[in-house]
Amino acid sequence: MADLITALSVAASGMEAQSQRLRHVSENIANTDTPGYRRKTISFREAVGGGEVMPGPVRLDRTALPRINDPNHPMADETGYYDGSNVDLVIEIADAREAQRSYEANLRMFDQARQMSQSLFELLRR
Amino acid sequence: MFEKLKITAMAQAMAAHAGARMGTIASNVANADTPGYRTQDLADFGQSWAEAGGDGGMRATRAGHLGGAASQMSLQAVAIGGHSGPDGNSVSLEAEMVKAVEVRQQHDMALAIYRNTSSVIRTSLGRQ
Repeated sequence: MADLITALSVAASGMEAQSQRLRHVSENIANTDTPGYRRKTISFREAVGGGEVMPGPVRLDRTALPRINDPNHPMADETGYYDGSNVDLVIEIADAREAQRSYEANLRMFDQARQMSQSLFELLRR
Repeated sequence: MFEKLKITAMAQAMAAHAGARMGTIASNVANADTPGYRTQDLADFGQSWAEAGGDGGMRATRAGHLGGAASQMSLQAVAIGGHSGPDGNSVSLEAEMVKAVEVRQQHDMALAIYRNTSSVIRTSLGRQ
């Protein structure tokens, strides 16, 4: 029984981590056109002892920012270039889809652990 | 209630094993994207039950007897081998789903055995 409760909290930690990942993806997508924006990435690590997952620190993608030539842009320097953002929409969409799949897998585990503890309680009802 | 009966003790151990394995699977799925995480699993129920002396162990009739009572079944998760991706993570979500179904069936079976045993005992006591 205690193991099932642990399974519930572990699955919940997985869902929380994946939703935080999805949040950073949506921040990246929202800032696709922001000059000088670097995409945020997040990596996960295992919590000590419990088997739960914890989101690690947010890091900025170090890929060089693209130089965009548009002399009319307010951010353009004297040569007519400004820094764009290094967000690649295709990568973000793929990352979002992967986060969604992992979230669903965690949700399924949560549901199964809940049903198993439910059937344990059913034994008491007779 | 019926711990003295071997079959209920076994059903109880089986349900406990299924619960512990479910916890391991949940932690594998939660860490499916954690770099460097190795998939963990428990030994299957038959093996752990035999190792704990569940079948064929010597009978203890007093508390002082050595090696009599079945020792506590080991529910320790160990990292298992497997192909790992570029980030050192070896979790396969598909394999975890298969294991989850196995665990579900094992748990249901244990509870069904317990329920049926207790209904047999109820019948023998003359109650429905």
